[in-house]
Amino acid sequence: MTARDGHVHLSVVSAKPAWDWARWLVVALGVGGATLFVLALFQRWWGIWLYAPQYPGGLRIEIALTGMSGDVKEIDLLNHYIGMGHLEDAAPLERRLAAYGVAAIVAVSIALILATGKRLNGLVAVPALAFPVVFLADSFYWMYSFGHDLNPRAPLKIGTFTPQLFGNGKIGQFETYAEPQLGFWLAVAGVALIVLAAVVRWRVCAHCGRASTCGLVCPKLMVLPEHEARRA
Amino acid sequence: MRAQSKITIAVMAAFVSVAVAGCGNAHDAPAGGGQGAAPSEKLGASSSVRDLMKARGLNEADVEAALKTYVPSGKMDEYYIFASGGQSGNIDVIGVPSMRMLKVIAVFTPESWQGWGYGGESEKVLAAGNQGAHAIRWADVHHPNLSETNGDYDGQFLFVNDKANARVAVVDLADFTTKQIVPNTLAASDHGGAFVTPNTDYIVETTQYPAPLGRGYAPLDQYKDKYRGLAMFWRFDRKKGRIDVAKSFGMELPPYTQDLADAGKLGSDGWAFINSFNTEMATGGTLDGKPPIESGASQNDMDYLHIINWKKAAELVDAGRAKTINGVKVLTMDVTGPEGVLSLVGEPKSPHGCDVTPDGKQVVVGGKLDTHTTLYDFAKMKKLIEEKKFEGKDAYGLPILAFKDAINGQVEIGLGPLHTVFGDHGDAYTSVFIESTVAKWSYLDLKKPVEKLKVQYNIGHILSAEGDTVSPDGKYVVAMNKMSMDRFLPVGPLFPQNFQLIDISGDKMRLLYDAPIGNAEPHYSQMIKADKLKPLKVYPPGTVPSTGDLDPNRVEGGKERIVRKGNKVEVFMTLIRSHFTPDQLEVNEGDEVTLHLTSLETAEDQTHGFTIDMYNVNLSLEPGKHENVTFKADMPGVYPFYCTEFCSALHLEMTGYMLVKPRGG
Repeated sequence: MTARDGHVHLSVVSAKPAWDWARWLVVALGVGGATLFVLALFQRWWGIWLYAPQYPGGLRIEIALTGMSGDVKEIDLLNHYIGMGHLEDAAPLERRLAAYGVAAIVAVSIALILATGKRLNGLVAVPALAFPVVFLADSFYWMYSFGHDLNPRAPLKIGTFTPQLFGNGKIGQFETYAEPQLGFWLAVAGVALIVLAAVVRWRVCAHCGRASTCGLVCPKLMVLPEHEARRA
Repeated sequence: MRAQSKITIAVMAAFVSVAVAGCGNAHDAPAGGGQGAAPSEKLGASSSVRDLMKARGLNEADVEAALKTYVPSGKMDEYYIFASGGQSGNIDVIGVPSMRMLKVIAVFTPESWQGWGYGGESEKVLAAGNQGAHAIRWADVHHPNLSETNGDYDGQFLFVNDKANARVAVVDLADFTTKQIVPNTLAASDHGGAFVTPNTDYIVETTQYPAPLGRGYAPLDQYKDKYRGLAMFWRFDRKKGRIDVAKSFGMELPPYTQDLADAGKLGSDGWAFINSFNTEMATGGTLDGKPPIESGASQNDMDYLHIINWKKAAELVDAGRAKTINGVKVLTMDVTGPEGVLSLVGEPKSPHGCDVTPDGKQVVVGGKLDTHTTLYDFAKMKKLIEEKKFEGKDAYGLPILAFKDAINGQVEIGLGPLHTVFGDHGDAYTSVFIESTVAKWSYLDLKKPVEKLKVQYNIGHILSAEGDTVSPDGKYVVAMNKMSMDRFLPVGPLFPQNFQLIDISGDKMRLLYDAPIGNAEPHYSQMIKADKLKPLKVYPPGTVPSTGDLDPNRVEGGKERIVRKGNKVEVFMTLIRSHFTPDQLEVNEGDEVTLHLTSLETAEDQTHGFTIDMYNVNLSLEPGKHENVTFKADMPGVYPFYCTEFCSALHLEMTGYMLVKPRGG
C-alpha cells in the first residue's frame, strides 16, 4: 500500500489501515441513499396542474409510485368527453409492484456496495441510477398511451397528444403545468449519495491491501475486520 | 343635512386632489420640473371621474356612497343579511354592503330552482308542517332569528316563523337548507317569533290573533272566556339540529293580541318579554253596527307588556304543573300568575317593537300611536315582582306592575316609532313608520338629542349589523321600507319593497344604497358577519340534505339498476356529466315508480337537475346529493326526462326517456 510519503506500509492486523474510515463512509452513503429511496416511496413524485376558466383554483393530479391523488375523479370525468381512459387504470402493475421494486433496488444497491469486487465497481450505482430514469420513462409511456388511445366514439374529438411531463402545455381549454415533487427529488438525492458512495468506494479499493487478490467479490465485504475476512 | 354635505364635499375634494396630485407627479417627473404635460393629460383619472359624475348626474355624496358599497368582481361582501321573505314563504339572503341578492332559501313554499316541493325528499319536510285537511304550501314569513351562543350569533342555524299558519322552521346554515317545519297545534296564528334565548335553548313563538287553544271552536261572544293567546317555548336540540317537540312547552296568555317578543340576555337571561295590543279585546262586528277592530282595539291609553320568567316556567313544567292540550304541555294562568312567572306592566297605546338592549338591562317598546319609545328597567321590574308590589290585577288575575315604577324613562322619537335595533356605544336606531325616518338616540343617555334620517318610504322593520346580540358592530343599519313609490323603475301596481342601506359608522347616519325587494314584503331580518359562516360546498356522496343522513338507497357508480317487483319499479340512477344512468326507463301504465337518484359529482358548483314532464317531478341534485321520488305512472306515453341545470357543454344531451306502456298495449 503506497501512502503519500512514498513508503510502503504492510497491512498488519493490529494496525489501523489507511482509508479505513472511508469504508464506513461508503456504507453510510449507501445506507443514506437507500433510506432516501424508502422515503421517496411514500412521497408524491410528480405534480400536474390544469387550469381552465371554470376551475379558478385549478385541478391537480399528484403521482406517487403507489398511485395517484388529487382531482383524479374530476379529471377522469372530463377525460370521458375526449374518450380517454380512466387515470386510475394507468400503470396497474407498476403501482402494485412499487414497494417490492424499491425494496429490490435498496437491497441490490446495498449488496453491491458491500460485496462487489474491485473489477465490478462500475456497476455499484447502476440500479440506483435506473430508478428515477425508469420512473420517467414509464410515466412518459403511460402519458403517451393514454393520449394516443382515445375512444373513437367520444363526443369530442381532439386528436392524439402526449401531455407535457415538464413545464407548460395545453390540452383543450386547459393550460397545464407539470413538475417533479418531493418524492422525485428524494430519489435524485438518493442516487447522488449512492454515486458518491461508488466514487469513494473506487478510491477505497485503490488503496485496499487486498486489491491484488480481489476478484468479482470483495473479500473484506467492505468493512469486515481482517481476520473475519481471512476466515471468509 | 348642510353639515353633512360639507363633510362630504371636503372628503371628495381630498380624494380628487390626491388623485390630481398623484397623476401630476407622474407626468411631471420626466419633464424635469418644467412646464410638464398638457393640462388635459394632467387631470388624468380624476377628470374621467368628474366626467362620469357629470354624465350620470351624480354628486360627491353619491360617489362616496358608491365607493362604500361597490364590491368589485372577485371580492366578497362583509356581511350576510337573512331577510324574511314575507308572503313568499322563504328566506332571502343578501350581501352587505353590495346589497346583492345571494340566494333564496326555500322554506315553507315550493321553490323550483332548488326542487323544493316537487316530488323529492323535501316533500317530507313540507308535509310535516301540514295541519288539518289541506296541504299548506305557503307562509307569511316574519322574523328570522340566528342561533346564538352566549348572546352572540354563532352562524349555525336560522329559525323563522310563519305568521299565517303558526309554524316555525329550522334552517341549517351548514348547507342553507330547511331541515324541519313544526306546526303549532295550539295556535291559529303567530307573530312574536322565532326569537331565540341567548344560548338557543328555546325558540320563542307567541301568538298574534287569539283563538281557542288547540284549534277548537267557540263563538265570538265567548271571546273573553274561551279565546287565548299563547307563548310557545320550543326546545332546540342543537346536537340534532332540530326542535324537540316533546320537550317544548306553552304558556297560556290572556286573549290580548300579543305582538312582538324578545328574550332577555346577560343579566336578564331567563326572562322573555312580549308586548300586546287590543287589551280591549275587541272583536269587530261592523255589520251589527259595532266599531271595527281597528278602532275597538285602540281605545285604552295603555296596553300590556308581558314579563315572563321562562326559566322558572320550565321548572314548573318539569315539576308537573302543566296541563296537556293537544299533546302539548301548557302552563295555565292560574299557575303562572301566582308563581310570578307571568306579570304585566302598562305600555303606551298600540305598542310595537319589543327589544332588549345589548347590555340586557332595558326593554325598548315603541308605539304605533304614541310618539315615544319607552325604556323598561329589568332590575326594577324584577324587584317589583319579587316583592309582589303590584298596582292591581287584570281580568285573568295576572299581576300588573305600576308603569312609573317599572320604567327608566321615555324618549320623544316622532310619529309611530316601531322597532329598535342597536349600534355600539349605546346607540339605538328606531324605525319611525308614520314620518318615514330612522331615529338615532341613546339608550344610555335618554337626554341625548335624537337624530333623524329620512327614508323612502314607510319604514317597518329595521336591522343593524349583529344588532340584537350582546355586541352590535355599529357599522350598518338597513331600513326595511314597506313602500318604494318613486325609487325604482315602475313594474305595475304591485311595487317592490325598498331596503335602504345606511352607514352608521360615522357621527351621522348616511344613506348609501336602495335595494329593491321584488318578491314579497319582508318583515324582520338579521345581519351576521360573513366569516362566522362556513357552509359546505359539496355533500358527502349519497346525502339527503333535509335529514343530513346518507340514504340507504344511495347509488354508487357502476351499481345502477332497475328492479321490478310486481307493479313496483325501483330505479337506482346516477347523474354525472353529462348523462343519466340508466337513460331508458320502461314501465307499464299503473306501475308505482320509485326513482333513487344520486349525483356522483364531487366538483363544486356542478349541479344537475332532473325533471319528468306532466308528472310534476322536478329535482335539484347538487354534488353528492341523493333524492328519492315515488309516483304512479298513470299516464301512458313518452316522457323525455332531462337535466335542467346547464351543467356542461353536453348539457342538452343529458337526457333520457321514460316510456309508460299503455295497459293492454
